[in-house]
Amino acid sequence: MKAMNRRRLISVSAVLAVASLTATAVPANAREVGVGSSEIKLGMTLPMTGAASLGYNKIPGAAKAYFDYLNANGGVNGRKITLIVKDDRYVPTEAVAKTNELILKDKVMALLAPLGTANVKAVASSLNPARRGVPVLFVNTGFSGFADVKKYPTTYAILPSYIMEAKIMGEYIKDNFAGKKIGLLYQDDDFGSDALAGFKTAGINFAVKVPYASGSQGAAAAAGWITKFKAAEADVVILFGVSSATSAMLGTAAVLKYAPQWMLGSVGGDATTIKLTGVPAGVLYNAIGFSPVPATTDMNDEYIKLFSDIYAKAVPGSVFDLNVLLGMNTAFMTAQALKAAGQNPTRKSLMAVLNTKGATLANSALTPVGYSAKSHVGLTGYWVGKYSPTGDLLPLGGTYVTYTTDSGTGAVVKSTYKRPAMPAKGLPN
Amino acid sequence: MHKLKPRAHFALFLIFGFLLFLASNRVDELRVYQGASIAVFVIAISSLILLTGYSGQVSLGHGALMAIGAYSATLARNEFQIPIIVTFFIAVLAAAVGGALLGAAAARLSGPYLAGTTLALAIGLPSLANQFSILGGEQGLLFDVGFPPLGLGEDFTQYKWFFWIAALAALISTWLLSNILSSRYGRNWRAGRSNEVAAQICGINTGRSKILAFTISAGIAGLAGALLSMTIGTVSPSAFPLALSFALLTGAVLSGVSTLSGVMIGAVTLVAIPEIADVVAHRIGSSENITTNLPGFIVSALLIVTVLFVPNGPVEQHRARAAKKAAKKKL
Repeated sequence: MKAMNRRRLISVSAVLAVASLTATAVPANAREVGVGSSEIKLGMTLPMTGAASLGYNKIPGAAKAYFDYLNANGGVNGRKITLIVKDDRYVPTEAVAKTNELILKDKVMALLAPLGTANVKAVASSLNPARRGVPVLFVNTGFSGFADVKKYPTTYAILPSYIMEAKIMGEYIKDNFAGKKIGLLYQDDDFGSDALAGFKTAGINFAVKVPYASGSQGAAAAAGWITKFKAAEADVVILFGVSSATSAMLGTAAVLKYAPQWMLGSVGGDATTIKLTGVPAGVLYNAIGFSPVPATTDMNDEYIKLFSDIYAKAVPGSVFDLNVLLGMNTAFMTAQALKAAGQNPTRKSLMAVLNTKGATLANSALTPVGYSAKSHVGLTGYWVGKYSPTGDLLPLGGTYVTYTTDSGTGAVVKSTYKRPAMPAKGLPN
Repeated sequence: MHKLKPRAHFALFLIFGFLLFLASNRVDELRVYQGASIAVFVIAISSLILLTGYSGQVSLGHGALMAIGAYSATLARNEFQIPIIVTFFIAVLAAAVGGALLGAAAARLSGPYLAGTTLALAIGLPSLANQFSILGGEQGLLFDVGFPPLGLGEDFTQYKWFFWIAALAALISTWLLSNILSSRYGRNWRAGRSNEVAAQICGINTGRSKILAFTISAGIAGLAGALLSMTIGTVSPSAFPLALSFALLTGAVLSGVSTLSGVMIGAVTLVAIPEIADVVAHRIGSSENITTNLPGFIVSALLIVTVLFVPNGPVEQHRARAAKKAAKKKL
C-alpha cells in the first residue's frame, strides 16, 4: 500500500472545495449570444500547425483580412466582426475541446468554416451545436452528408461534394475523350469511394484504377503507380487524391518523362501547394482542372481584384491562392447573411436568411449555392479549365463554362447560373 | 509516515468521488467537460505508469491501444446495440488481448527495440481503419452513449453525464490499479525492473510478469480509449495520432513515472496547458505564430524542468524529502 497521510487528504479536499467554489455563473443575455452592442463574435477551429495545416492555415488570415476591411468600413449594421481562431491540429479530440471553448467560454454567435470531416462530425456528436441552436457555417469538407438537414440542422456545407466533382469529370471525359483509355488514381478510403460512386453514376469505365492508402504517397510509390498506368496504356490519368499524392505523382512523372493527359481533382489541384513541393510548373501545363470559384489570377473578375487587393495589404508577401480566396469568400458570405439577418441578428434569424435567401446571396463562386429549408448543400458545380505554362488554372477558351449537378443520380448539366453582381466595394448590401 | 489501511484507502476514494460529484454540480459545462478529459487522461496515464514505472517497459504506442478499446466499444455499441456499461468492459478485454499479443513480443525486446516496436504500432494501427469499411475510414464512426437518464433532471447536461461516467471509471480503475501495484504482482514487476537477474533468482518468471503488465496496462488504456471516444462522440483514426502517445508519456513523466499517486498532476497539466497558454498569449497580445506554438513550448519546458529537478516526479520527491526529514529526527 502506498504511504499516505491525513494531511494530504485534507489538502486535497481543500483544493477541490476551492475549485468547486470558483464556479462561474452564466450571465443573463439580453441580446443573442455573441452579439454585443458593437461586436459580433464568430469562432473558427482548423489545423494551424502540424502536417495537415499546409495551405489551410492561410484561411483564418484570409477571413480576418476581409473582416478587418469590413470593420474599417462600418462593419455589419455598426457592429464589428471579431473572429476567434483556435488550432485543432486536425485532431477530433482537440476540435471538440477548442469548439467547447469557443461556444461555452468565448460565447461566439456562430462557428465559421471548421475543417475536416472527422472533426466536424465529432463536434456535431459531442458538443451538439444543433441542440444548442448554434449555426455551423460553411464547413470546409467535401463530405456530402453535412448537407442533410435532418441530421445536421444547423450545419451548412459549402464545397461541392466529391461525388459531384467525379460526375462532372465523367461528363467532361465522355464529351472530350470518348474511346480513350482512362486511368484513375484515388485514395483508398471514403474520399475515394465517393469518387468511385460519382464516376459510376457518370458511366465511366476505367482501363486501370490505382488506389493508394492515405499516408503512403511518396516518390517511390508514385513510380509504382506510373508502371501500372503505363502497362494499361492509359491516355488520360485522373489524379483524384490529396495535394501530396498529386505532387508526388507529377514530380515523379517529370523525372520519368511520363506525360499522359493529366486531369486533377480540386482537392489536390491547388497549383500554389503543388509548386511549393518543388514540382516544376511546366509539368502542370495543359493538365485539366476543376474549380467552383474564379481563377485566382483572373484580375478581370471583380471579386478576385478586390479580394487580392485587400489580402495583399493585410498579409503582405503571401500568395493569393485558392485557400485564401475560399477563406475570404466565406467571410464575405457570412457578412452578407448577417446583414440580411436584421438590425439585431440572432442565431435563428441568421439561419432563416440562409434557408430562404441563401441561394441568392452574392458571392464570388461561379456555380449556384443550393441552400433551402430542405437542404444545406453548398456549391453545386465546377468550371473546367487547363493549367497555363506557369501552372495557373485558367478557363478553357478564356470563358468560364460551368457544370452543375447533385450528389445523387441527377444529370450533369451546363449551368445557366448568372452570378449576382458584387455589391459596391464588396461590402454587404 | 504511516500506511493507510485498505479500508481507509477505500474510504479515501469514496470521499474523493463525493467531492467530485459536488464539484460537478457547481462548475459550468466547459469545466465539466475538461473534468471528463482529465479523468480520461488519469486512466491512460496510470496505465502507462504501471507499464513504464513499475514493470520497466517503454511504450510509445499507448494511443494505438486506446484506439483498439475505442473501436471495439464503438463496434459493440453500433453493431450489436450492447448496453453502454458492457461496451466499456468489451473495450478493456479487446485492448487487453491486443496488449497480451504485443506483450509477448515485448517480453523479448527491451530499450530502443521495444520503443521502436510500440512506435510502429502507434503510427500503423489507427490507419487500419481505412482498410475496412466497417471501421468507417477517415470520417470515423459515431459513438453515442445516449442521453443521461431522465431521473437526473432536465438540466442535467450531456457533458455532466460524460464526466460522471469518466470520473467513476477513473476512480474504480485507479483504486484497482493501486491495489494490484501493492500486491504480489506489483512487487514482482518492481523486482524485475530493478534487476531482472536478481528477480529470476528469486523465482520470478520475469517474462510472464512482463506480459501480464502489458496485458493489464493495455486493458486500462482500452478503457481510456473508449471513454475518449465517448467524450468526442465519435471514433476515427485521427483521434489517435502519434502526438497522443507522446502526450501520455509526457503526462506520465510529469506525474512521476514511478508512483501512481501523482497521476492527477500529469492529467491536469495536459488539459490545462492549452488554456493557460491561450490566456498568456492573449495577455501579451502576441502574434498567431506564438499563440499556436506556446502550448507545445510550455509542455516541453515543463518536461525538461521536471527531468532536471524532480526526475521521479513531484510526489515522489516530496515523499523522499519527508522520509529524509523523519530519519533525521529519529537520529
